[in-house]
Amino acid sequence: MRDLIVEPWRAPFMRRAILEVALLGLLGAVVGVHVLLRRRAFLTEVVQHTVFPGIAIAFAFGYSLLLGALVTGLASVLLLAALGRRRRIDSDAAMAVLFAVFLAVGVVVVSRRHGFQADLTSLLFGRILAVDDRQLIETLVIASACIVAVAIVHKELVMRAFDPAGAEAMGYPLTRLDLLFDIVVALAVVAGIRAMGTVLAVALIVTPAATARLVCRRIGPSMVVAALIGAIGGWLGLVIAWDASVNHDVRLAPGASVVVVLTAVFVIVAIGTAIARKLMVRGAAR
Amino acid sequence: MSRLADAFASPLFRRAMLEAVLVGVIAGVVGVHVVLRRLPFFVAAMSHATFPGIVIASTIGLSLFLGGAVFGLVVVGAVLALGAKKALDNTAAIAVVLAGSFALGMLILSTRPSASRDLSQILVGSVLTVTRADVVTTITVGVVVLGVLGALHKELLLGAFDPAGAAALGYPVGVLDGLLLVAVTVTLVVAVPAVGTLLAIALLTVPALTARLWTDRLGPTMGLAAAFGALSAFGGLCAAALWRIAAGGAIVLAAGTLFAVSLAATSWHRPRLAAPAS
Repeated sequence: MRDLIVEPWRAPFMRRAILEVALLGLLGAVVGVHVLLRRRAFLTEVVQHTVFPGIAIAFAFGYSLLLGALVTGLASVLLLAALGRRRRIDSDAAMAVLFAVFLAVGVVVVSRRHGFQADLTSLLFGRILAVDDRQLIETLVIASACIVAVAIVHKELVMRAFDPAGAEAMGYPLTRLDLLFDIVVALAVVAGIRAMGTVLAVALIVTPAATARLVCRRIGPSMVVAALIGAIGGWLGLVIAWDASVNHDVRLAPGASVVVVLTAVFVIVAIGTAIARKLMVRGAAR
Repeated sequence: MSRLADAFASPLFRRAMLEAVLVGVIAGVVGVHVVLRRLPFFVAAMSHATFPGIVIASTIGLSLFLGGAVFGLVVVGAVLALGAKKALDNTAAIAVVLAGSFALGMLILSTRPSASRDLSQILVGSVLTVTRADVVTTITVGVVVLGVLGALHKELLLGAFDPAGAAALGYPVGVLDGLLLVAVTVTLVVAVPAVGTLLAIALLTVPALTARLWTDRLGPTMGLAAAFGALSAFGGLCAAALWRIAAGGAIVLAAGTLFAVSLAATSWHRPRLAAPAS
């Protein structure tokens, strides 16, 4: 047991990976609780796919992946806002179109290169063990910016989530608020992309927040619980992947292992709360 | 152009073309229901959810269709069960299930030595390697799905626009909804060899939305959606042969181009209504 707690910390790449996951867990918790309040989970899923062409192009031409992801992430949020203004296109449909088309651009760009399959895999699933110090600092900067932005408009966001008509009547600029929120979500996804890849980044935003929602009624505590679940689940997932490959000679993708652990926590908590509620109902009936 | 002629001379390419166009037609028609009921997120989730099933099936050597469909149906059940509890809203349940099942597929796949080659085939499809059996499966599934949708057209329509009214009239709304979700899942699984799990959502939404831009009536929307789906498949495969790019990506880009052109063309003609910000 001691081997599993102390040994991974000795390897610098594991230390950085654990720090990165903890940071992303914190950011994901703060943003994720709001995402679920607003029922915008699909947006996170869409953004994580729309940034794919950005990182694919940046990768092909040797630019910074972060820059590519930022540009396409923001472009997709703006396009979404523009498409949503059209009659006959509801917001879900607009997101589905952007999702599919952006992703296809990425696949086509990558498919022109040699070594297509290996590149595709690393872009889609991230390289959490290859996180370096610079990437950690970039994640820290994005995370602080997002958390500060959410903290400033926290009250407005909550008001807007629970009573859009009321918020509008009170004169809040809802369109601008929505755009700001979408941009924060896009940034949070972008922060997670390089470590978790473009198909799993959403898990660190949505899954811990959904687990917290099952046990907490209030917003502040949900964020704390979600952040703890994200950080501890992330650490556990990485250690399991480490243990499997070092001690048992089974290769496990570390990013996927983190997400499977987070999902398992969610399933256990969901079953646990369901049983607890049944018992309470029975107790109340007596 | 000679590259294109060469491609058409090959029986493999012609078979791929047949498969892609068939998938385009089926997905186009089913997609109209997806758009009507605002199910795009569900489709996105299903396309990810079938992934572990396909991985498991290919690991133990079962039919990919079977693996994808079985796992997909299990996930439909999980989403419905979570949604029924009211503890979480549907979108949260879908998102959790989506990410979790994709990670599970990836985890299983990563233990295999040829992980990245297998992965890219499942994710972005490999239409040029479809077999005769795949084409037969696609035709069978297409006939069954389109037949069921056609027979229940009126009931499904009523259920989409007025679920309470349909229930009051005594229609088994739950069964109809479940049937539609199964039809969507099966269509997705059939689309996987052509465009892969990641892009299957495109064929199930983009042609239907493109058709929706041109007309408000349901019958013509379905016809147009099938035509746009077939056209995207045809154009995409030709582009893939001409410029040697990934076929799945090219098909989706063709669909996206049709959408963009339709968007521009229809906004030219019709007065744009100022939509209230929601």
